[in-house]
Amino acid sequence: MTITATTTPQPTATAPDKRRPGVGAALRWEIVKLAAQIRSRALLAVALIIPPIVVAVLNGQQQPPSDTIYGRHVHDSGYAMPLLMLAWAAQWVLPLLAAVVAGDIFAAEDQHGTWKTLLTRSVSRTHIFWAKTLTAIGYNLLVLVVFAGGTIAAGMLIVGTQPLTGLTGQAIASGTALRLVVTAWATTIAPIIGFTALALLLSVRTRNPAFGIAAPVVIGFVMQLLGSVTGLDLTRKFLLTTPLEAWHGLFAQHPFTGPLATGLAVSAGWTIICLAGAYLSLRRRDITGG
Amino acid sequence: MRPIITRTLTILAVAAGITATAAAGHFDITKTGLERALGPTFANLYVQQAGILGITGITPTTIGANASCDKGGPKVADVGAGPNWICMMSWTDNKGQHQDGKFEVTVRTDTTYVAGGPSKIVGLATITDTHGHDVTNPVFEFDGVIPTGS
Amino acid sequence: MSDVLAVDAVGLTKTYGTLTAVDRLSLQVGQGEVYGVLGPNGAGKTTFLRMLFGLIRPDAGTLHILGRTWDEHGIRALDGVAGFIESPKFYPGLTGRKNLQLLAGLDGGAGRSRIDEVLETVDLRGRERDKVGGYSFGMRQRLGVAASLLRDPRLLVLDEPANGLDPAGIRDMRALVKRLAGSGLTVLLSSHDMAEVEEICDDVTIMRTGAVVYHGSIAALRAKAPEQAHEIHTTDDERAALLARAAELEVTRLDDGLAVRGPQPQIDALVAQLIGEGIALRRLTRRETPLEALFFMLTEPDTDPAAPELAITGAAR
Repeated sequence: MTITATTTPQPTATAPDKRRPGVGAALRWEIVKLAAQIRSRALLAVALIIPPIVVAVLNGQQQPPSDTIYGRHVHDSGYAMPLLMLAWAAQWVLPLLAAVVAGDIFAAEDQHGTWKTLLTRSVSRTHIFWAKTLTAIGYNLLVLVVFAGGTIAAGMLIVGTQPLTGLTGQAIASGTALRLVVTAWATTIAPIIGFTALALLLSVRTRNPAFGIAAPVVIGFVMQLLGSVTGLDLTRKFLLTTPLEAWHGLFAQHPFTGPLATGLAVSAGWTIICLAGAYLSLRRRDITGG
Repeated sequence: MRPIITRTLTILAVAAGITATAAAGHFDITKTGLERALGPTFANLYVQQAGILGITGITPTTIGANASCDKGGPKVADVGAGPNWICMMSWTDNKGQHQDGKFEVTVRTDTTYVAGGPSKIVGLATITDTHGHDVTNPVFEFDGVIPTGS
Repeated sequence: MSDVLAVDAVGLTKTYGTLTAVDRLSLQVGQGEVYGVLGPNGAGKTTFLRMLFGLIRPDAGTLHILGRTWDEHGIRALDGVAGFIESPKFYPGLTGRKNLQLLAGLDGGAGRSRIDEVLETVDLRGRERDKVGGYSFGMRQRLGVAASLLRDPRLLVLDEPANGLDPAGIRDMRALVKRLAGSGLTVLLSSHDMAEVEEICDDVTIMRTGAVVYHGSIAALRAKAPEQAHEIHTTDDERAALLARAAELEVTRLDDGLAVRGPQPQIDALVAQLIGEGIALRRLTRRETPLEALFFMLTEPDTDPAAPELAITGAAR
């Protein structure tokens, strides 16, 4: 009564496409969806517009914001601006930038009830997972580049390209300073990917876009707080916010990169754990909503 | 049921991780680390100030700045971040005179610090350069970083 | 390839906590068949279809789709299969056409050249440039069919395609499904509406709280169905009931009037007799169709699901 065909039936009149759709097809789909999203475009615009405004306002202020590193130098060198901005952004802006798209990208399918629309086509959950992950990481790096580029350019154009005072009091020539500032911003790539992975995990687990976006920011805040507690020197090394501050060593007279190496490893650890958790969760999940 | 278990386990794991690392931790910020960072930084900035004021004939080496630091008095261990570090700086000025100054240092957990010098010796927040412009006094208050291995 | 069953489910079971959504479901759908899965809401139809589409994993049992299984073939298990579950969902911010283009891309792109054709089939030409957010429920339902047809499937799975549609929409949707079924497609239709399944399908599985209560052809089901029931209102229901019972009709007293069940000639004879006895007939209406009556008997909560045969024979008298 039960016919169990174990051999794969051959394609019939359907004559399916030779190329099986994979991550590439899913990736194109994600990018089109992202490009159509108002939020993603708005965030890029904000990342482009805000830095020059902040730099101009700071430049116009008599009293420099000396409670943050490089704050007291904002009038002395255009390279101090992007470093001050980096120190500020590390507090909550960078986690937020990382979470706006990543925290939503999985949960939005729950919100629209479109998981079943996606998963009843010819791409697997694995394909969708990687397509979404790559889209979120790619987008976040694009936002970072725009934000950093805008900040650095605004500092140089509005304040100037004076030599920068290093963190050992040494003078850093303009060309070297630019290279170091760009490097300092580049060191946030690893923790931003880590925060992206965290947001992706929360997006998969909570199925709630608002939670997926807000929670990484809150977690980032808590990590900042924990990291500022005296005596937790070992604990703070494992926090995802610590790598965002690892650039300081680049500006010493004898640069030290130990914190950067640790930060890279810690970011990689967070990324792997969060992505693995998200992947397994998505693979096993019963799609019942929608 | 299952999400509750997952959440509880996650919270427990995080708490255990924090406790374990807090217990096993050592201090990255030490008295010697701060002293080694502060001396050369002050020397560099002192030379920079001299340049602004038009004073010649000194280099970081001739100044020979030396810091001796203590955190929160004799009863507090001289390790870790805090706003209560006091560093006695001694150096040689451009006239060959020995100088001493008490610096108040706030060390942050990210191993950066802010040091403020005595204005009687290092001058006020703004100084007048050789062209008569008011500029920031680099040694009045300055940022620095304590090198760490990781 | 027609010897491979389109769907072959054996002992499929899915539980959520203490609730058994699908309980040892077995059903076979041959290629080219138009097959109905019928049951009230909560009977487990949609859970079964979710297992078919790999959206959820069965706890037990095996499932072959056109000879393939999820465990062995992964997403390839859906090659040649298309359809939707519950109401089809799309990205509201994108146009109907853009949604179809993206879905075609997820199939490998071959469907892109068929977009105009499928839009024509479901009668959405002219609205394809509008955002799906502005579509009516029926239009979205039709777009769901279009999205399924893009895959040029051999097995089309439709879950309550007429749900939530107005009468005209229901009529159009049924006509569409019948047209598709006539083109040689295997159609698996889930519905809670006996009339819909009766109109469209050849074979049916009736489910109730996760379990199968009937399995076979519509024709065989029809043979098991009770006689047509009528509701009569008279000036003297008491005596009318006695007369009906004497005429060997099955009689149920209603709050107002009587329900009588029996062959048409006997009903006709009863009406003549009532008038002869001086009882005026105020109203005579048909109740639900026999198949609907049977469906309700099979799926109403107070019947014993463990003895479906008994329920059927009892109903058929």
